[in-house]
Amino acid sequence: MRRKRFSRREVLAGIGAAAAAVAVPACTGGGARSSVLQVWGGVPAASGPAAVVEAFQKKFPQYEVNYTRFVNDARGNLKLDTALQGGLDIDVYFTYTQASMALRAGSGLAADLTDRIKQDPQLQPFLDTVEPRAYIDNGKVKALASAREPAFVLFNEKLRQRAGVELPRQWTIDDYRATARKLTRDDTIGAYTIPDVARIALGPNYWYDGDRSNFGEPHFVQGFRLGQEMIAEGSAFPWTEVLSRHLDAYQQNSFLGEEFHLWPTAPFNLRYLYDAKKYPHDFKVSFAPPPTVDGKDWNGGSYSNFVMINPNSPKSDAAWEFVKFWLTEGSAPMLRAGKLPTLGNVTDDQVITGMLGKEPGKFFDVESFRRVVLDADPKLATDTRLTAFPEISLAVKQQRDLCWLGELDPGAAIREVRRLADAAIDRDERSS
Amino acid sequence: MATATATATVAAASAARTGKEPGIKPRGWIGFLFIAPNLLGVIAFTLTPLISVIVLAFTDWNLVSGLGGITFTGVDNFVAIARDPGFWNAVGLTMVYVGLSVPLTVVLGLALGIALNRPLPGRAALRAIFFLPYIVNVVAIGMTWLMLMNPTAGLVNQVLGAFGLEPAWFASSHWALPALIVMVWGGVGYCSLIYLSALQDAPRQLYEAADIDGAGAWAKFRVITWPSLLPTTIFLAVTLIIGASQGFGLIALITAGGPGDSTTTISYYMYQTGFQFYRFGYASAIGLVTFAGVLILTLLTWRAQRGRALND
Repeated sequence: MRRKRFSRREVLAGIGAAAAAVAVPACTGGGARSSVLQVWGGVPAASGPAAVVEAFQKKFPQYEVNYTRFVNDARGNLKLDTALQGGLDIDVYFTYTQASMALRAGSGLAADLTDRIKQDPQLQPFLDTVEPRAYIDNGKVKALASAREPAFVLFNEKLRQRAGVELPRQWTIDDYRATARKLTRDDTIGAYTIPDVARIALGPNYWYDGDRSNFGEPHFVQGFRLGQEMIAEGSAFPWTEVLSRHLDAYQQNSFLGEEFHLWPTAPFNLRYLYDAKKYPHDFKVSFAPPPTVDGKDWNGGSYSNFVMINPNSPKSDAAWEFVKFWLTEGSAPMLRAGKLPTLGNVTDDQVITGMLGKEPGKFFDVESFRRVVLDADPKLATDTRLTAFPEISLAVKQQRDLCWLGELDPGAAIREVRRLADAAIDRDERSS
Repeated sequence: MATATATATVAAASAARTGKEPGIKPRGWIGFLFIAPNLLGVIAFTLTPLISVIVLAFTDWNLVSGLGGITFTGVDNFVAIARDPGFWNAVGLTMVYVGLSVPLTVVLGLALGIALNRPLPGRAALRAIFFLPYIVNVVAIGMTWLMLMNPTAGLVNQVLGAFGLEPAWFASSHWALPALIVMVWGGVGYCSLIYLSALQDAPRQLYEAADIDGAGAWAKFRVITWPSLLPTTIFLAVTLIIGASQGFGLIALITAGGPGDSTTTISYYMYQTGFQFYRFGYASAIGLVTFAGVLILTLLTWRAQRGRALND
């Protein structure tokens, strides 16, 4: 039997077909879009999103939802951006940093939700422009904050009582420093770091002044100087340790290890404090509000965890149902991840058991939690000006590090931040 | 008959010369079929990114805006690079890093290679031990050094503390780059192994002649060993220069370019510009300029050493 010989054309056609079979699905991000609603978020599924999805599917059995977690760091956000840009099947996604949100919303990756919100009475707070809870781009609502993240200061209650320090209900930044000094002993340090002095004094968009940066404002130097002085006197954690141990990402370990007493932080870190199995400790934690600065009392926290709908989603109605559910009746499971719902549609008891664990009184001073988190009405600053945001963030961090290592005078550090920020703003506005 | 034999002989000679069977038409495309899997890989993962970087270097693009968001800006990115203090700071740091780490690696590698070439007890095991760091994961190396060089609890400073020295290492803008340079030890084992094989090829008769002439150890090294190792040294210098210029893993893991910008080398600056600031056009231009710089440096190294080797 004669073997069939393939012609050159046949072979090349075969290779072409095979290459196309490989390349086409790759280019379209996995081929045809599925009927399943695809949701991408940064919170691990087990910390709340899985329960939200389950509740949504129970209420709307006609929809199936798949939640994909991306790590909310530079690499994770790049993965989401390339997936969105590459046409991967994503219907709903979350954005956690202002810089990413500006890029995504400004690049046509966020659907306009204005009309849908206007039609729904319970979502009217998202149209507020005085204390914005949404990212509004040229009058169009592109992203909705799903969580409030107020700042507060945590005390190690055992060490506080031992030092005979009163739990503050209202205090100034000078009181904060004095308290940290009182709490400092040979074996423990008063505070991890200081709250953002300039943010408390200046509120939203505090990095910008017209078409220039705002780093000529004296509160920036005040913050850098306060941190440097507290580190030098030993009442704040040495910055050499923070950098060499990468403590920024593991602050909870040092707090639980009683290396410091005062911890300026936000609700998402509470999850470490009620999990006695993973993070064993024998002290209660109490809550104080952030200190005020020169009579100014912006909280320092903001609305966050913005949810957006991909404008290319063919399931936009289902996506909207899901977003609405997450923001309203479905938001309770996210409390365990420290996410206070933007619309406040949960009871105090739900918040307490959700955020402080099954035995709230075992690890927390619940009374101070009620006072600081539940009953207070903090002034949350949400930035809406985002020009050169990543570049300015890096400049602030780099110069702060040098200043708090004691290598640079606070005035010189802020002058350098100002120079870098002005150059970045200028370049960004020229290219836009 | 004689003609036919002559023709066959010519054909056979031709076939032997060209490697082709007489009477069979060459089919070069079959060769492409065999290399197709590799060729597709090279096209997809080498050529396409390379061409993309060259094209993107002349654009303003933030990735998120998609292909429609690409704006051609001509040579603007290259003009901006020339005026960018951050870029020149990164170039300076890279030159310091390469200029110190490469000679250090080569010298230590050579010393270790010569030591391991001697008839030591357990020589084979020692060779394996010194080569081991080269194959250890960069993350493991980074984390180990981070602990060893902790300013207060690290072993290094506990020893140095006895002499009144306790640098803050990675938490100091003055010490962070030297601390990264010290980490060349990972490459020393690799260098020593390459040198070891070169040493074993060194011309024995010259050493014997030198022994007869009463030459000392230093004279033998200067006149025989070093010239015979020159091709190896050039190879190592070139590959180490290229590797050190692209050094990224340890910097990303340990210092993230800091404190301040004291360890922001050119590779890390390119990463920052592209993946933190989403200025992909500008980052591509930095990549092209870096490529040109490393190429020139490599050619200069090659040219400077040409013709000086003993074996040439």
